[in-house]
Amino acid sequence: MGLFGKLRGKKKERRVVFIGLDGTPYTFMQRLIASGRAPNAARLAGQGSLLRMESVWPWVSSAAWSTMMTGVNPGKHGIFGFVDRDPATYKQFIPTSRHMKARTLWEVLSDAGKRVIVVNVPVTYPPRQVNGILVGCFLSPSLDKAVYPQSYVPTLKSLGYIIDADPWKARESKDLALQEVNAALDARIRTLFHLFDHEAWDYLHVHVMETDRLHHFLWQQMEEEHPIYAPAFYDFYRRIDDMLGRLAGKLGDDTTLVWMSDHGFCTVKKEVYANRWLMDRGWLKLRSVPPDPKAGLDAIDPASAAYSLDPGRVFIRVKGRERDGWVAPGAEYEALRDEIAAAALELRDPDSGERFFQAAFRREELYHGPCLEQAADLILAPYDGYDPKGPLYKETLTFKGDELVGAHTYDDAMLYVAGKEIPQTRFSVVDVMPTVLSLMDVACPPELDGQSLV
Amino acid sequence: MEQKGVTVWFTGLSGAGKTALALRLEEEMRQRGLKVERLDGDIVRQGLTRDLGFSKEDRDKNIERVTFVAKLLTRNGVAVLCSFISPYRAVRAHSRQEIGNFVEVYCHATLETLIGRDVKGLYKRALAGEIPNFTGVSDPYEAPENPEVMIDSGQETIEGSLAKIVHKLEELGYMPPAAEEELPSYTPEEEAAIEARLAALGYL
Repeated sequence: MGLFGKLRGKKKERRVVFIGLDGTPYTFMQRLIASGRAPNAARLAGQGSLLRMESVWPWVSSAAWSTMMTGVNPGKHGIFGFVDRDPATYKQFIPTSRHMKARTLWEVLSDAGKRVIVVNVPVTYPPRQVNGILVGCFLSPSLDKAVYPQSYVPTLKSLGYIIDADPWKARESKDLALQEVNAALDARIRTLFHLFDHEAWDYLHVHVMETDRLHHFLWQQMEEEHPIYAPAFYDFYRRIDDMLGRLAGKLGDDTTLVWMSDHGFCTVKKEVYANRWLMDRGWLKLRSVPPDPKAGLDAIDPASAAYSLDPGRVFIRVKGRERDGWVAPGAEYEALRDEIAAAALELRDPDSGERFFQAAFRREELYHGPCLEQAADLILAPYDGYDPKGPLYKETLTFKGDELVGAHTYDDAMLYVAGKEIPQTRFSVVDVMPTVLSLMDVACPPELDGQSLV
Repeated sequence: MEQKGVTVWFTGLSGAGKTALALRLEEEMRQRGLKVERLDGDIVRQGLTRDLGFSKEDRDKNIERVTFVAKLLTRNGVAVLCSFISPYRAVRAHSRQEIGNFVEVYCHATLETLIGRDVKGLYKRALAGEIPNFTGVSDPYEAPENPEVMIDSGQETIEGSLAKIVHKLEELGYMPPAAEEELPSYTPEEEAAIEARLAALGYL
């Protein structure tokens, strides 16, 4: 009998401790393991399944974690990015947990009588009520408003908990970026072990956002083996590895360790401004150039046929749906959508000749459910390294800066489940919630899109 | 939504967390805009029932008067939080019948836990024979058979227990849900700060 056969015979596991490593690529974790830089992850990988996973389109943390925590596609949960718009008023807003139309894993577990503790998962602000404790994500305006129940705020303050690293400081210099992400990681780790040791829980989930932040600010330096910043990058991951090892060492037979990332990362080749391209092609016109920065989407001239929101989401100005929209639904809409999609696939980097986009998905190809109408008409899926951005106006089509140097990737997310042999080779973040429910022996709601992997 | 009156009746041994939970629930209910009154054993005995002692007869009278007040408040749309040891099953059943909208919360903790905790020093004195008719030591406690909510204060945190009670009250329609979707997530100032954060990360 092999290792997994022996484990299968053991007492059924009921508790789960879950670590979110935002944006840590599977292939990067394998590189750390192969180079001896992650001895704990290496050991744990031998005691479970460490697998490559797909994200969602678009591969932003808000859409990906919303999918993870609801087990349904964005067409059902309604979170498609970090910014959205009301098509009738063109008012932009930041989607929060209030806009999420599906029940979360922690609510399902709470209803099953499980005590849950959830910390820092994107799109959990404002905190929904759970049987336990929920600490909202980096979109929380303050710790005082981020926590359910409020009475837990003083404990978090006494632990020196912080909502997020300061991204403006991090943009100032690489040294400050490192200082910020390491300080935030300190707080996250301290809180994790405090909760582990001092609170009752059946499901404990702590999300590390700092991996994503580190990557955004320093991925390129790591890839290029920068003499100072590459070692600092690896030092940060040594701390992640220590955390995983220390945590695993505390677990009894009744608890399964799970960790995952929601997307991969690579070095930014160029930021690509989709609205600049739509303007160049005549599909987007602005009332004035440059537009009033306070105008938001009001700057769009009513004669426009389309516009884009971050990252690579293209909305067609459909009559009856969009304010002053004029593109007739049906044949005219489909013809325009086909035309824009075809043009996107032909669009190339003027310097290298490389294509920017590997696919231009019609929304119904990716999503289904009651929130489909809120989705963009086209979702442009870039090749790794091309980073579509959403500002309404830029003078140039592309830009390569030295502040934000890491870009997300789709098919290099990661899932680790201790003590389980997972045979599937192709799955995505939507399958994580049913997997956790299965590990905890809680019935899976029938409306979920994902499938348990165990 | 018009508030539906209810009496939440916390029963259990001294030190099992009845008052602490009622206080937290009161806070939570006020935050959600509900009218709340708290009737506590330690308080009513200084006023409403100060003429009564701890014999079975007096204890029954104590609960009877409290029940009367709770009934009046409940039928006028108030949430009434009663924390009383209320050791006798038949008396609690009578209160339930009189009041109607009645949610029984059984605060359980083992005697060992309570003796270990002994915040008021009462168990020590009761065990030394200094307090006669002390429930759980020298007087019986009849545990509820079918309480709406069962709390194990030896095992659960106060917030975990509170969540169970709130969940039940929401389910029964006595409390509105906490997060209403139509409420804005941010004040304008907060939204500007979050937008700046997202801009720094390149999402806007």
